[in-house]
Amino acid sequence: MDGVRKLTQAYSQAPWRKQMQVLGLFLLVLVLLALVAGIYLNVTARAATIGREILGMQSRIEDLDLENANLQTRLAMVKSATEMEKRARALGFEPLDQTEITYMVVQGYIPRQQAIIAPPPEPVIVVAASLPADYTESLFDWLQERIIPSLSRVLEVQQ
Amino acid sequence: MSSEHVWRYTLLGTILSVLALFIVWQTIRIQLDPEQVQRFIEEGKTYEGEWHTYYPPRGLIYDRWGHLLAGNTTVYEIGAELGQVKNPHTIALTMNVVLGLDYSKVYDAVTQEPSKKAVYAVLDDNVTQDKIDRLIAIRDEIETTYGGSRDKDAPNLSGLVYHPHLQRTYPENSLASNMLGFVGRDENGDIRGYFGVEAKYNDLLAGQPQRAWVPSDPNRVAEIPEIPAGASLVLTIDRDIQSAMEEIVDETMESSGSESVTIVVMDPRSGDVLAMATTPRLDLNKYWRYGEIFEGETPFNRAVSQAYEPGSVYKVLTMAAGLDSKAVKPESTFVDTGLFEIGGTFIRNWNSGAWGPQDMQGCLQHSLNVCLAWVASQTGAKKFYEYMNAFSIGHQTGIELAGESSGRLKEPGDADWYDADLGTNAFGQGVSATPLQMAAAISAIANDGKMMAPRIVRSIISDGRQFDTEARMVGMPISADTAHTLTEILARSLESEASNALVEGFRVAGKTGTAEIPTPYGYTSDVTNASFVGWGPVPENRFLVYIWLEKPKTSIWGSEVAAPIFPKVVEKLVVLMDIPPDDVRNALFSQ
Repeated sequence: MDGVRKLTQAYSQAPWRKQMQVLGLFLLVLVLLALVAGIYLNVTARAATIGREILGMQSRIEDLDLENANLQTRLAMVKSATEMEKRARALGFEPLDQTEITYMVVQGYIPRQQAIIAPPPEPVIVVAASLPADYTESLFDWLQERIIPSLSRVLEVQQ
Repeated sequence: MSSEHVWRYTLLGTILSVLALFIVWQTIRIQLDPEQVQRFIEEGKTYEGEWHTYYPPRGLIYDRWGHLLAGNTTVYEIGAELGQVKNPHTIALTMNVVLGLDYSKVYDAVTQEPSKKAVYAVLDDNVTQDKIDRLIAIRDEIETTYGGSRDKDAPNLSGLVYHPHLQRTYPENSLASNMLGFVGRDENGDIRGYFGVEAKYNDLLAGQPQRAWVPSDPNRVAEIPEIPAGASLVLTIDRDIQSAMEEIVDETMESSGSESVTIVVMDPRSGDVLAMATTPRLDLNKYWRYGEIFEGETPFNRAVSQAYEPGSVYKVLTMAAGLDSKAVKPESTFVDTGLFEIGGTFIRNWNSGAWGPQDMQGCLQHSLNVCLAWVASQTGAKKFYEYMNAFSIGHQTGIELAGESSGRLKEPGDADWYDADLGTNAFGQGVSATPLQMAAAISAIANDGKMMAPRIVRSIISDGRQFDTEARMVGMPISADTAHTLTEILARSLESEASNALVEGFRVAGKTGTAEIPTPYGYTSDVTNASFVGWGPVPENRFLVYIWLEKPKTSIWGSEVAAPIFPKVVEKLVVLMDIPPDDVRNALFSQ
């Protein structure tokens, strides 16, 4: 009995060691939790920041679209027929009379082309419908194409 | 630890425990009460985000050279978030000063009690950027002066918000307004096009709006849907020709005292409408003045919507039918006795005179009603109306403009057609057509007998690609030989009578027209419709011009008021279309 007690005493851990182990385990869990929480917070914060940036960019795209439309129309206003005529007259130009025009042949002259605002539609390429051979060949065709040549090669090698 | 301390700690512990229990109990209660749950979910949703409707920018409209005729600009809707309004007086006063809105109306709108149905009040729309800049300046000034004030009555613009959106804008103001139409709101508040191409192509120009959920939570940010802009249009009209024609129209209105003046310029070879000028016109950026400018039943575009009895210009079609059917030849002689009986009705000439023996050129040159009634009778009613149908008289031309009238052509078999109508129709009486219909029909004579469908849309730009429309031939009502013969007859007739319509340096063909205006009691009115149709330079025929003066005051005769307009038009056209005079062209061709 005394021997058992001595043995137990020899292999049992000191109480302070047990407390330290429990405390260590607790701290480990705590650190892991803190780590996970930290990573989660970091990722979430970054996602939120990027989300805010995307929202901001979307709003900026809308603003730029509006500004583009504005500028395009303002440019057209500045170049309108009445404005251009006013500016031309202010610069001392007068409307041309047909009798004042001198016509001459200019080699390579390209007359004014009509408005091309966007590229023309892409040509439609008609691809002839063709079924793969798998759907059309018979079993005999398949044997003739794949198996018979292989067999004949094997036979040739054996000879 | 003393007993006093124990008591204190026990009390604190109890209170904290009760509070904790209360919180737990409340949490459970909320979770279990369906009404509360629903209320909180709904409340939460209001902060989650909002449904937003994305309107694609309306497609643009260009002239044939790419000049922008209809674009978009940013304007603002101004409103009040009712729950955030702190000083309605400041808002109402600012709106009154900056936008000229009625103080009391704004005050009433912003003092509404916010409710589920009313959280926002629209105060004004289509406010321009400069006004918004003024509002921002006022807001900043108030913020600087009264920003920290706790006085309830201190000036404050809280709750006043503005949202940008695009508004249709026409950089050329009233230019080509009758063809373009305008964009406004209908009775449901929806944006739509009215008149012209804006109405005809409304669905295409407007594109497809899309609704999307826009979350407030940045973690749930979603992509804005890619909404393709509305399709854009490239028209066949030439801005500079249109501008020149409108100038001539306005001058003619003033000089002739006409009720209206219309000029249509077409390329007979393709059917392209190069210009369509008429009166009245509307500054499309002030479209709300429509009712004021187009009083009563005034059509928005007389060139396509107002059919009238064209009078003697119609004789061109009668003669085309007669020549093409071989009923008459250019050298056929008709002895004009000043009277022709058909279906029990006597046809007389414009001056009630007898012009004696006349060939077909003489008949057209002197515009003899009697002769043309004879030509129609020689052609025969069946063939005559077959030809008129081939010229699409009484049918819409199919031009891409809203509100086209088909005119009226009575035919044998119709309840109101009589034999006498053949005689009167021959010189353009008892038949009605729009200026565009007349121009399109007569363009067949200027285009080797081929009649092209008039078109105003040259290309459609959709999904970043430009799709060109093809010129479409309606038919070939007459042969090329007939077309050349008739053009020659009409060119000679102008030259023979030294017409006011002649243009120095350019050979042109044409015909005047003076039509009495029918009243419910017959042709009893002393006002007329004066017209002229001309084309050139013969034989290339690069333009066809149709001129109509409604009820001119200075003279009732087309030869005196409409014909002199033609050279004015042509002088502008040849410069703008780079057409050298005949001698220069002939010299260039011979090189």
